[in-house]
Order: sequence, then structure tokens, then C-alpha cells
Amino acid sequence: MPMKTQKITTDNQLIIERRHHAKTYKLTIDQASCVGCELCSLICPREAIKVTKKPKIEGEKAERPTIDVDEAKCHYCGMCVAICPYGAVHVAVDGENISLVVEKESFPKLIREISVDTTKCPTDCKECEEVCPLNLIKIESNSIKAQVTVEILKERCPCCGLCDVKCPEGAIQVRRIFTGKLRIDQEKCPSECRDCLDACPITGALFLDEKDKIRVNELFCTYCGVCKIVCPEEGALELSRSTIRHTPIRSGAWNKALEKLASTLEVTKELRGKGKKRAMEAVKKRLETRRKQIG
Amino acid sequence: MDKESPRIGVFVCHCGLNIAGVVDVKELVEFAKTLPDVVYAKDNRYTCADPGQEEIRKGIKEHNLNRVVVAACSPRMHEPTFRRTVSEAGLNPFLFEMANIREFSSWCHQSTPKEATEKAKDIVRMAIAKAKLLQPLKEIEVPVTNKALVIGGGIAGINSALDLAEMGFKVYLLEKNESIGGHMAQLDKTFPTLDCSICIEGPKMVDVGRHPNIEIISFADLVSASGYVGNFKVKIKKKPRYVIHENCTGCGECKEVCPIEYPNEWDINMGVRKAISIPFEQAVPLVYTINMDYCIECYKCVDACGARQAINFDQKPEEIEIDVGAIIVAIGFEEYLPYADPLYGYGKYDNVITALEFERLILAAGPTGGKVIRASDGEKPHSVVFIQCVGSRDVNKYEYCSGFCCMYTLKHSVMLKEKYKDNIQVYVIYTDLRSDFKGYEEFYNRAKKGGAHFVRTKLENRSIVEDAKTKNLIVHAETMGGKPVEIEAEMVVLANAAVAVQNATELAEILNISIDANGFFVECQPKIRPTETDTPGIFLAGACQGLKDIPYSVSQGSGAAALAATVLSKPTWIIAPLVAKVNEDICSGCGVCESVCGYDAVKIEQINGKELAKVTEGLCRGCGICSAACPAGAITMPLYTKEQVIAQLRAVLEKVK
Ligand SMILES: Cc1cc2nc3c(=O)[nH]c(=O)nc-3n(C[C@H](O)[C@H](O)[C@H](O)COP(=O)(O)OP(=O)(O)OC[C@H]3O[C@@H](n4cnc5c(N)ncnc54)[C@H](O)[C@@H]3O)c2cc1C
Ligand code: SF4
Repeated sequence: MPMKTQKITTDNQLIIERRHHAKTYKLTIDQASCVGCELCSLICPREAIKVTKKPKIEGEKAERPTIDVDEAKCHYCGMCVAICPYGAVHVAVDGENISLVVEKESFPKLIREISVDTTKCPTDCKECEEVCPLNLIKIESNSIKAQVTVEILKERCPCCGLCDVKCPEGAIQVRRIFTGKLRIDQEKCPSECRDCLDACPITGALFLDEKDKIRVNELFCTYCGVCKIVCPEEGALELSRSTIRHTPIRSGAWNKALEKLASTLEVTKELRGKGKKRAMEAVKKRLETRRKQIG
Repeated sequence: MDKESPRIGVFVCHCGLNIAGVVDVKELVEFAKTLPDVVYAKDNRYTCADPGQEEIRKGIKEHNLNRVVVAACSPRMHEPTFRRTVSEAGLNPFLFEMANIREFSSWCHQSTPKEATEKAKDIVRMAIAKAKLLQPLKEIEVPVTNKALVIGGGIAGINSALDLAEMGFKVYLLEKNESIGGHMAQLDKTFPTLDCSICIEGPKMVDVGRHPNIEIISFADLVSASGYVGNFKVKIKKKPRYVIHENCTGCGECKEVCPIEYPNEWDINMGVRKAISIPFEQAVPLVYTINMDYCIECYKCVDACGARQAINFDQKPEEIEIDVGAIIVAIGFEEYLPYADPLYGYGKYDNVITALEFERLILAAGPTGGKVIRASDGEKPHSVVFIQCVGSRDVNKYEYCSGFCCMYTLKHSVMLKEKYKDNIQVYVIYTDLRSDFKGYEEFYNRAKKGGAHFVRTKLENRSIVEDAKTKNLIVHAETMGGKPVEIEAEMVVLANAAVAVQNATELAEILNISIDANGFFVECQPKIRPTETDTPGIFLAGACQGLKDIPYSVSQGSGAAALAATVLSKPTWIIAPLVAKVNEDICSGCGVCESVCGYDAVKIEQINGKELAKVTEGLCRGCGICSAACPAGAITMPLYTKEQVIAQLRAVLEKVK
């Protein structure tokens, strides 16, 4: 059998596959978890991922953008797996889930720092389970033993921090993955339009104020950028990311990804100073020795 | 000599009975004597033999001849012989003319000897008329660069390079891929002896890499070539490897840290390789290459390489120019992949593979570690059908026989039976089984004894259908007698046609050599000069000249090396002065000649402030097209001047008058 590639789309999954005689690569996007943000498509080194805004139907709510992966371009490196804050992407090699770039320390993992002190939890409280916009929290309480377990589907959590803020006992602590800025230019924002609000997966990150204007609550925003994709008005929404919490890494590929993700100059520079500068210096030095050898 | 009146000697050859059996040779001699300026005429049984040649030399001396005509066979064979003979007697070799009375008369008019004799007289009369006008000419001598270029590092090119290097010549071995080795390096075992392919080719590859006279230029393409025998100038473009050749130790530590895997063409994409890697373990030169189409520039390899500092992301393509005296073309063959042929379901059915894929599958160092398994379920098949002549011997695809597939299928059947014994059923569907050459028929017998079933069927009416559930394949064919054949197999292996390299046409254009309708390079003469091209100094070796297996590719590789050495071993190369001559007084520089010349041999240039046609003697083949096309009659062919041709026509038309 010569190498085969194929794409299968079902209601809840988008699967692409590359089959060799004795090895199979598979990338799966879980349509329910994917919010249609831009993160994976921004950093994909093969530009294989396309996120497209769905055409708006008059009078209906804006839908999430659709995601598509070009099976001819994808080489299953797993950067998308590592960057997706919603845990919607999986790559499997011969049936085993893996991100090759993370495995080989060419790309960091996002740090999801969530801590729960269940001793503070009253047995009758389900506040966090209810507020989690992505239904990732499951609470089991045993009133007889006065014990509460809080189960969080961590790998799919974008760390919006809603549970943290809403917890009446201060039992959950969430540190944000992304920090940054999201600004709405009220002049440019069309007054009737609610598209960003419709698409935003995090309840309360965007809201209507008393004058029916859309506002940002940066306390909850995950800076995923889906709002920017659906926004019909150029320049009405301005998004920039300044920090990303990730496992320590020294990799040119990450620096490149970072340049695309984080628009704040200082951040880019700082991170460059850490990794790429050294690589650049190494290259320069190498060239010099070579020139000397030739000369 | 010009002023001297012509004294012509005519030597008529019997060629045994080839001529004398039809043409009345004695009468022809007497006739020749009657012609003006003929001072001597004589017949010989074999003019080309020593005594015959001696007669010519004697005739020249005794009769003070200053022109010689030999009436015998075609000049293709013996013109050079007789030119040498007359020059040995002190005559300019170009004061010689040949009259072909064998091919033009005795052979084609065997039943009418009288008329044949009359025609022979006409032919001799014409030759004499031309001989009168012959002028002494000087041979042209050009210097020779004693280095060679071999294009293509398969087993044929490897042998050419090694032989030339051993003779002491500097050789550049140009290979478009990262490593030399060609198809042989992809094979598991080789027929008819079943020795491990890379075990016998590997050491040769290493020898090439180590030989002080050989410079491998790999991962590079030929851009252009100019010049002529002894004096070629070629431009080569090296693709960047992003790894510095001199610094790379081939340790492979970079490969270990590289996260990126991409399809390995070397394994026919059945397996994968890292973005920084070598295509196979025995690669020569052992230098890693980064595939920038896939690399994510994480620089993990830079870290792993450390102090060796072999990785350089700034490498750019590099163009080099080299001078060589001879070129050997050995670019091999490619495969026909029958994706578009619905009969075989290749690309559609998981368990239909090509023979080369089978080689990679059964090879211990291959992508499955030597396990013959089905792509559909990873299981070892219990029955395998081999189908011969897929695309070959098919008037609608490739009419020719691919030559080596019968033999490799025998090999595959023997290997399967020896490996899996009775646990596997092997069928070979063939139309004719070709096992000529040394040891091959014996190998066929070994395959038959081994237990493979050979089923002879027609080339037509074959098809394969897949059982959707089991992924088994139902093979249909028809016996020679028209009976249907149906075999269910768990795997099918296609003996797909071998075809000419796709860019052979491009290469042929650059080198000014010809390709045939199938894309294979055309030899100078299919029987007695199969290794030369029509372009002096350019030779052919291996499957690119015509499909051939390893022993014959190796032989031709060595043959081409020997021929190249006939050029390289001389300090200068002699070119016959049969090249176009421009009369600068008449030439108006119109450029018609330049536009018709097929060899780039004539160009309009500024000479003393005037636009004039200039002939590069080394490139001119003396075809005469420019001379015929020149509106001013400014170009002459020294051995076919207008006066000479008209004199010949007058001579033959004399009788008609
Ligand atoms: C499945 C299979 C099994 C076989 N088994 C056997 C066997 O058991 N025994 C046997 O005797 N024969 C066998 N053969 C035949 C054998 O492969 C050939 O005889 C042999 O490879 C011919 O050698 P070559 O050097 O002429 O060509 P190739 O092996 O094709 O080498 C040509 C080289 O030239 C290079 N090249 C191509 N184009 C260019 C270019 N433009 N510029 C620079 N370089 C270029 C290629 O990269 C390659 O390295 C088998 C063939 C197949 C397909
Ligand atoms: S070698 Fe055998 S299988 Fe190959 S084309 Fe010729 S006859 Fe067919």
C-alpha cells in the first residue's frame, strides 16, 4: 500500500489520518470542545489549520467559527495539541496519544495551575460546578462523612477563573494561562451586533452594560481570540497577549510561536533573550569559524 | 599539390564474393583505366586486409599517385582504415575517396549482375570526378581536460567512477539524491545468488566515498553544460543540506532529539524519517540533511550537535562550475505506479503493493523490520499472488519488456517460500517468463522446486477485486486457452514497469544527446556501440540506456569508464577536419546558420567589427545543414564542396546526355 491520507468529518469530530504501511498518524479535533479560536491556526508551522467564520444568518445568533485541517499539509507534530487551551486536539501515533514536539521538548506544555482545598467546601455547595462555563467540574459530596470531592477535567480547562472568583469559600485557586489585553472600541462597535458575545465560550468575559454596549471583563477572559474572528468590524476589537504560562523550554519553534501569539513587544523580546538569542549567536559563531576555515 | 595535375589510382575490392559474386570486377578495373587522370587501377580480394592495404601503398609509391579511390564497401566501416593506409604512404589522408559498390550495387542487385556492373561503373566514375577536386586537409587538435563527470550514483555510475579513479583520473560523481547507491541500495537480496544487496554494494559505496580521486557531489543537479569532447564545462547546483559537510560526523545525535517525522521516500513512504536525518544507515556521504519543508526550527539539533557545530540554518544553494574531458550518464530508471489503472486497485486496496515496496517490506532494515505484513491489519499473509508485466509489454502503456521483473519475482517467490515454508502459498501470474543469462534458468528451476505455483495467463483480461470485509483480493485472469482463473490472495505484489527517469529529457537537452520514444538515451549504434552517444565524449551506463539488471549495469559502467579513458588518457584529441568553414568575405552575418545548427556549433560573433558566423570546431559534426541553408553560399563543407558535388552529378549524368 502506498502512503494514504484521508479526512473524515463527523458531527462531533474532525479526523485526518496518514497511513504508512506500518505506521499511522491521526489527528482528531473534538468539535464540541473546539471553540473556533485562532490559537492553533496561528502557530501551525505548516499553515495546515484554517479557522473560518461562519456566514451570519440574519436574525440568528453568531455561530462559532469552523475549523478545518489540510490533510496534505499536516505532519502531526502536535503543536496544536500543546497550545489548545480547551484540550480539543489530539494526535495519536499508532493509536497512542502523543505530542511529538512536547515529547522531544521542542514545545512547552501550558501550565494549568488549579488548586482546590476541599476542606473548605460545604457539602451542599455546587457553586463551581454550576458556574463552570465548560461543564468541567463534577462535585460529589458525602454529607454524612462531611466530605466533598471536586473533580476537574484539567486538560480541557482554559483557566478562565470563574470558579475561583465565584467560590464563596475561597476554596479554588486558579492561575491564568494567558494574560493580556482585550479592548473594544465603542465608536467602531456596531450597536446592534452581539457576535462576539455569542461566540465567547466563557460566560461573563463579555457582557452588556446598562447602555447595551458590549464590555470586557478581563477577570475571566482567556484571550483565546474567538471574538476577534467573528467580529465583523475591522478594528472594533483589539486583542493582545502578554504572558503565557508554560513549562520551561528552550526552543526556536516556541519562540516563533510566541512571536505570533504574543503581540507585546517586551514579552517577545524578553523571551527571545532567553532562547533564540543564544541560537542566533551560535549560528553567527559557526559562520565565523567556517569563514576562517575557508579564508 | 594543388597545382599538380591529378594522378589517380583506383583499387577495386572483391570483398570475397560479396562484390565479385555479382559485379564483374575485372571489367570495372578496365573501365576505370579508361577514365581521364586515372593512371593505375587494380583489383584485390580483400582490400582492407593487410595485403590489400600493401597494394595501395605500393601503387602510390610506384605510380606516384596523388589521389586514391577505393571501390568497396560502405565508408562507415573502412574509410578510417584507408585514410590511414594512404597517409602511411605519405599522402594526405583526405586525398582519398571511397566508392561504395557493395551496399549500393552488389548487395541490392544480386539477380542482375550486368546492370550491377554498370551501376558500379557509375559509382566509380562519380568517385573519380570528386577525387580530382580533393584538397589536402589538416586534422584539428584540441586539448583534453583529464577529468570525468559521472552523472548518477547508482551501481552503474559507481562502477564507472571507481574504474576511472583507479586508472588515475579525477572523477566528479554527481548524484541528485542525498546518498549514492541508487535502486540497488533499496533492495533486500539480489538474484540469482540471493546475496544481500547492500552488503555487496555498501563496500563499493564506501570505496567511492574514500577514493582520493573521486569527489562526490550529492544532493545536486546539473544546470548546464557546454563545450565538446575533451573540453566540457558544466554547471552544477548544490542544494543546501543545512548541515556543514566537513563538520558532520554522522553520529546521529541530532536525529534522536528531532521531534519531526516525515514520509521517507527511500522507504517508498512506507516508513518515516526525522526532519534531520539520513535516508538510510549506509548512506554515502554520511552527512545529515535537514528537510526545511518539515523542520520547525526548534534548534534541538543545534544543541545536540554542540561543539561540532555542524548545523547551519543559513546555508544557501551553491552553484559550482567544473571542467571535464568526458561525461558518463548513468541516471538509471524510475517506477511506473499504476494508480490510474483500475484493473489492479493500486492505491485503493490496502494489500496491493509494488515489487519495490515488497523489497522494503522483506528487508530487515526496512520499515517493518523485515516482517512481511498486510497494511490492512498488520498480519502476515498466508497467500501471495505476484502479477507480472504490469504496464510492461502493454501497447497502451509501455510496449517494451522491463527486463528484470521476471527475475526479481522469482527471487521474491524463493525468499517467501524459504522464509515461511508451507505457511505461505505463492502464485505467479505470468505470460512469458524470461530467465536468459548466466545462472538465471537454474534459478527459475529453484523457484519451481521451492513450491511456488506458476500460472500462465494472457496479458489481457486480468483484474483484482477486494473483499471489503477480509481485505483479501480475488485475482481474475485467463489461461492461454481461454479458461478463467480465480485465485484468492491475502496480498498481491505487482511487477510494475520500470520507466525512464522523468527528467531524462531535460538532461538530454542540456547534454545535446538523444532520447528514444520511451525516454531512454539513444546509443550511437545499438549493437557495436551501445555505450557511446552520438556526441563524442559522452557515454552511457546502466538502466538509463535500456533497462538492465545489476550485472549488466555494472558491466556497462566499466565499459563506459574504459571508453571515457580513451579520451582522458590523451593529452590532445584529434577531430577530423570535416567541419564547416566560413568564407568571411561573403558572410553577411545574417544568422540563418545559427538558427539551423542542431549542435550550437555556429554562432554570429563580432569579428574585426563585423558580424560574422563563427564555427566552434569541437562542436561541429559536419552535418552540412548550415552550408545548405546559407543564402550567400558562404559556408563550405571541406569534403563536400559545391564543386565536388556538382562534379559527381555531372559524372553520373554524362551518360544521359
Ligand atoms: C523491485 C526490484 C528488484 C530488483 N532486483 C534485482 C536483483 O535482484 N538483481 C538484479 O540484478 N537487479 C535487480 N533489479 C534491477 C536493478 O535495480 C537495476 O539493474 C539497477 O538498479 C540499475 O542500476 P543503475 O545504476 O543503472 O540505475 P539506478 O539504480 O536507478 O541508479 C541511478 C542513480 O542516478 C541518480 N539520478 C537519477 N537522475 C539523476 C540526475 N538527473 N542527476 C543526477 N543523478 C540522477 C538516481 O538518484 C540514482 O542514484 C531490481 C529492480 C527492481 C525495481
Ligand atoms: S521482465 Fe518479465 S515481468 Fe517484467 S516486463 Fe518483462 S516479461 Fe514482464
